Amino acid sequence: MDYEIVVGLEVHAELNTRSKIYCDCKNAFGLEVNTQVCPICMGMPGTLPTLNEKVVEYAIKMGHALGCTINNVCKQDRKNYFYPDLPKAYQISQAEVPLCQNGKLEVMLDDGTVKTIGVTRIHIEEDAGKLLHDDSFSGSLVDLNRCGVPLIEIVSEPDMRSSAEAKAYLETIKSILQYINISDCKMQEGSIRCDVNVSVRPKGSDKFGTRCEMKNVNSFSAAVRGIEYEAKRQIEILENGGTVTQETRRWDDVKGMSISMRSKEDAQDYRYFPEPDLLTIVVDEKKVAELKDSLPELPNAKLKRYVQTMGLSRVDASLIVESLDRAALMDACVAIGKGSPKSIAKWILADISKYMNDTGKSILDTPLTAARLCDLVAEIEKGTISNSAGKTVFEAIIAEDKEVADIIAEKGLSQNSDTSALEAIAKEVLAANEKSINDYKNGKTNALGYLVGQCMKASKGKANPGLMKEIVTRLVNE
Amino acid sequence: MELYEKSAFELSEMLKAKECSAAEITESVLGRIGKTEASVEAYVTVCEESAREQAKKVDEMIAEGKELHPLAGIPIGIKDNISTKGILTTCSSKMLYNYVPPFNATVMNKVNSAEMVVTGKLNMDEFAMGSSTETSYFKKTKNPHDLTRIPGGSSGGSAAAVASGEAIVALGSDTGGSIRQPSAYCGVVGLKPTYGSVSRFGLVAFASSLDQIGPIGRTVKDVAMVQSLICGHDKMDATSKDIAYPDYAANLKNDVKGLKIGIPDEYFGEGIDAEVKDAVMETVKLLEKNGAEVRKISLPSTAYALNSYYILSSAEASSNLARFDGVRYGYRTENYDSLIDMYEKTRSEGFGDEVKRRIMLGTFVLSSGFYDAYYKKAKLMQKKISAEFSEAFADVDVIATPTVPSGAFKIGENMGDPLKMYATDICTVTINIAGLPAISVPCGKTANGMPIGMQLIGGHFREQTLLDAANAYESIVGGFGNIPKIV
Amino acid sequence: MNIDIKHIAKLSRLRIEDDKIEKFEKDMQSIVNMVEQLPDIDDTLTLDVNNAMKLREDVEVTDKYTREQLMKNAPQVQAGCLVVPKIVD
Repeated sequence: MDYEIVVGLEVHAELNTRSKIYCDCKNAFGLEVNTQVCPICMGMPGTLPTLNEKVVEYAIKMGHALGCTINNVCKQDRKNYFYPDLPKAYQISQAEVPLCQNGKLEVMLDDGTVKTIGVTRIHIEEDAGKLLHDDSFSGSLVDLNRCGVPLIEIVSEPDMRSSAEAKAYLETIKSILQYINISDCKMQEGSIRCDVNVSVRPKGSDKFGTRCEMKNVNSFSAAVRGIEYEAKRQIEILENGGTVTQETRRWDDVKGMSISMRSKEDAQDYRYFPEPDLLTIVVDEKKVAELKDSLPELPNAKLKRYVQTMGLSRVDASLIVESLDRAALMDACVAIGKGSPKSIAKWILADISKYMNDTGKSILDTPLTAARLCDLVAEIEKGTISNSAGKTVFEAIIAEDKEVADIIAEKGLSQNSDTSALEAIAKEVLAANEKSINDYKNGKTNALGYLVGQCMKASKGKANPGLMKEIVTRLVNE
Repeated sequence: MELYEKSAFELSEMLKAKECSAAEITESVLGRIGKTEASVEAYVTVCEESAREQAKKVDEMIAEGKELHPLAGIPIGIKDNISTKGILTTCSSKMLYNYVPPFNATVMNKVNSAEMVVTGKLNMDEFAMGSSTETSYFKKTKNPHDLTRIPGGSSGGSAAAVASGEAIVALGSDTGGSIRQPSAYCGVVGLKPTYGSVSRFGLVAFASSLDQIGPIGRTVKDVAMVQSLICGHDKMDATSKDIAYPDYAANLKNDVKGLKIGIPDEYFGEGIDAEVKDAVMETVKLLEKNGAEVRKISLPSTAYALNSYYILSSAEASSNLARFDGVRYGYRTENYDSLIDMYEKTRSEGFGDEVKRRIMLGTFVLSSGFYDAYYKKAKLMQKKISAEFSEAFADVDVIATPTVPSGAFKIGENMGDPLKMYATDICTVTINIAGLPAISVPCGKTANGMPIGMQLIGGHFREQTLLDAANAYESIVGGFGNIPKIV
Repeated sequence: MNIDIKHIAKLSRLRIEDDKIEKFEKDMQSIVNMVEQLPDIDDTLTLDVNNAMKLREDVEVTDKYTREQLMKNAPQVQAGCLVVPKIVD
């Protein structure tokens, strides 16, 4: 039987605010253990939370980016459970009314097709601390620095049908977080984590199968591996006449397998109730609108525009979109309207990217403005300079901070595209090379290359090589 | 008359007139503690040394001619659930037997900046759960009027210290009557301020949506002085109300002409001792004779207040007290073989039975499948009760009721029966549920000589009205009497 | 409503001694019987827009406390960390 995979994702993203969500401790990663804490985030008796306004604003921005309804009147709730990394033994989160809900996200798959994934909700909550395990020590160590780091949890609908769709969704979410600059998105620091819900069902069925939730998925590639493993595991169970049990599983990326953590019966009873230490969150509707207006063009929309209206390939388009710098340069060039987008994209992805990789510089820190890149591409497209001369111009822009026209003139890089002038040169050269013409006519096709080379030489390298080849070919065949 | 017998206001005037020194006042109170504390057992921690130092500092400031707060140099006792930097804060629990906060509660910053003299930390029911101070892990505080009886609770140490002269004034906290009820039992004045008027930052939470810190004193003026000091918006407490707060003490009036007093039948029914009802009604008549207008009102949902209170307060408590797990502070069990084992043993050994009951009740009402039947219903009842009060306050300025149904009971009398104990809160919990201010003032004695309290309830942030009415009553009766002899 | 005291104790991370279970059960039962007596009210809970809180400005404050000050109350500390029994997860 053919099966269909059904995936839903819960993405946790740490927000890059200056201070923590409920206290004024610094929101920072990687500092010495238990030094970014205070009585509030350590859950000392008598301490109270105060909600960071930027956390609310950032979450609303993400809500807008994902087309959500913004609940500008909402509240926070306590999620109660005991664990050493959770000092208050409850996490302040949102249960009943999330800040944002009912959104959707368009993601472009590798083949260029666009798929819409429903976004159930986005809510704000606090991160927990970290447990450190050391084999040389009989206990576990607790570092509370991460306690109170602000998080948004983005919950999707079970709308994905493959690991590839899940990956595209995750990459799009990450890209949006970066575009609206609300998260550092450093996977290695755990600033984005996800829980994956997977179920399978016979193809064509409209009923969902029993799902398993997979925790501890720490990278997008792990999500792909986890989904594939989990789907295979579930299909095998069904194929062998078994039934999938609802449970929470833990993904072990090193071993490449998921392990059962707890069954539905052992599911935790979180005893949610309204957080009594905080009052109603009310965000002015004007502020909500302002936050919407503050959003830039989002990467998924940009990708769609690059592919569908500018004709870039899916791969080239996403390579540009994934970098804010590259995309900014691309858009500035397109706005100038000189040079074809495809050629501009090629320059951005080849020479410019190579230069940036080699030097570690940002495009914004070089004299290569959008206007100069457009000029450069336009001159090549017009045939004024050759591709290889273009590279020389590019290097000169960076090194000398000059205009394209000036560089071409100074270095004498312009090529001759005057058909009658080129014809005159060609006729002269051909007249002196009758032997080669005969060779060519007798089937030695490479003689043509020799002739074109001689013509180029005679033009002192300034002839447009394409045009020259065309002329020589015509003349010898006459 | 000894200095410890005087009111904060009188002492403040004497300090201003240089008729005594802050050191003398502090010595007088410490001396009283030395004499009666063995019998009353109001304190968990006495801060003799730091109190003396602080008094000396105040005297030096006076000598330098510095402008001082009216409460500078006045000894104050602090309930042991209010965080005091560098001073043990135990909540009268084994769980926090060794806990020394690294920070001050906002009210302590205010007390310290007014240069008051902190005499120590006062005994209470464990984590403020109880009505008799008998659930304290450390000691049983006695009622200064009869050492065989309870002082009430949970701020029993605060009320007993003030009543016995072991403190001039004190801070308590009130979640369901914990300031007013012991004040009534001990014959002193206790104010439960409007929810949101005094910062809760640093108050070890019992039920966050109901808890409020408030003052206890022997005169209404003293209570007004302390309330003026501790109230105010605090950005550390999101539930604190950002409005202008008056100087209650400076504005204090003492006439009740035209004051409209509401009398709700529901507070004078079954379960309230006849002598208590009579004492309260006589007081109301006295106020009427002095120009107040008295009218009957109705608060029909009062009967459900206790039910709602125990659901809401226990639910919040179960969550608030979950942090006591032996990891970051306080008690940790000695032998354990796993994390869960450590949690369970630490919490079972660290908490007393009453705290365990409330935690379990709270866990139960919030647990999967029961939320709507308990918590949500209680919240709806809270809404109804609040609406009834709002309606009542459209017609009256204050509402007068008994504070407690009877005089203080014998130590041990109600310990076996939680429901009987809970019933002593019947007149006070409603006020916390509605977030209103209420004051308890002494209004006579029972046949066996125990104080009776009258509760005056006001509209939100109408503390001035309550204090004015209580102050007028105090002047009419010529004060609330002397400190009892303690033998 | 009958309550399962052992389950509730487990959820609360409390352990009730066997000889105390009966008394706890009886007390809890009577308390639950009491609090249960609440009428159904035909009303809904709504968020109170007039009771909005002021949010905190996003400003970080560093060096408020030393680690030693904050860890002084901890029963067991090692290498600047709190210590708990080994977690096998």
